[in-house]
Amino acid sequence: MNIDFFTFGALVLKILVLVGFAVYAIFAVVMVRQEYLMAHVLEESFEPFLRMLVFVHLAAAVGLFFLALVIL
Amino acid sequence: MGPLTAFAVNPDGVRFETQEAEEVVILFLRQHIIVNLGWVILAVILILAPTVLFPLLASGLGLSFSVPVGYVILGTLFWYLGTFGFILAKFLGWYFNIYIVTNERVVDIDFYYLLYKRFSQAELNKIQDISYASGGIFATFFNYGNVTIETAGEMPNLEFDKVPYPEKVVETVRNLTEQIQNNNL
Repeated sequence: MNIDFFTFGALVLKILVLVGFAVYAIFAVVMVRQEYLMAHVLEESFEPFLRMLVFVHLAAAVGLFFLALVIL
Repeated sequence: MGPLTAFAVNPDGVRFETQEAEEVVILFLRQHIIVNLGWVILAVILILAPTVLFPLLASGLGLSFSVPVGYVILGTLFWYLGTFGFILAKFLGWYFNIYIVTNERVVDIDFYYLLYKRFSQAELNKIQDISYASGGIFATFFNYGNVTIETAGEMPNLEFDKVPYPEKVVETVRNLTEQIQNNNL
């Protein structure tokens, strides 16, 4: 079977990019979890805004992963 | 109390883990806001890099290459998302790294790299000595320093790092410990 070198390289690159984005999305989940723990330690009025930001960050990370699935 | 508050006396609407019903927060401290300057400058560079720095570098070095448009879009989006995540992580680290003085104890709550938490406390009647040190151009100019609280026995000492108005912190804690000692007599 004749494997096209460039097609194979593009496939490997696509997988690496997707794995990288998936790892970043996991980091975003960790950040949400950590924000919850931190907010449990300190109750303050600004905290809901921070919670919204970490969720926006998580949504963007997950969205980027699916965008990469579609585009690449 | 605003989100960027680093020094508050008798703050409203602040409660912390393990705070008892009759316990009152006298001082609420974070590191001086100027300690964030380093990562804020780095964040600005990261924000400007794709539109200003990278084209300048590419033209300066005479680089010429083409990248598929899909990778350009995803790369740019990921760059800005990563920058947003970096800013968020740094801000959370500063925001939740707090020092509290109540009418019963001093509390030091630290978070390291989003994953590690340390909760240290010392009862006011266990405090043996309190001192502060301030040095360097920034610390002198912006009036912040390290407050060291030495405790009796085998309890570890507490250190409030880079807090604003360290002399007021020392004075407040000293007054509170004297009050407790007088009440015990």
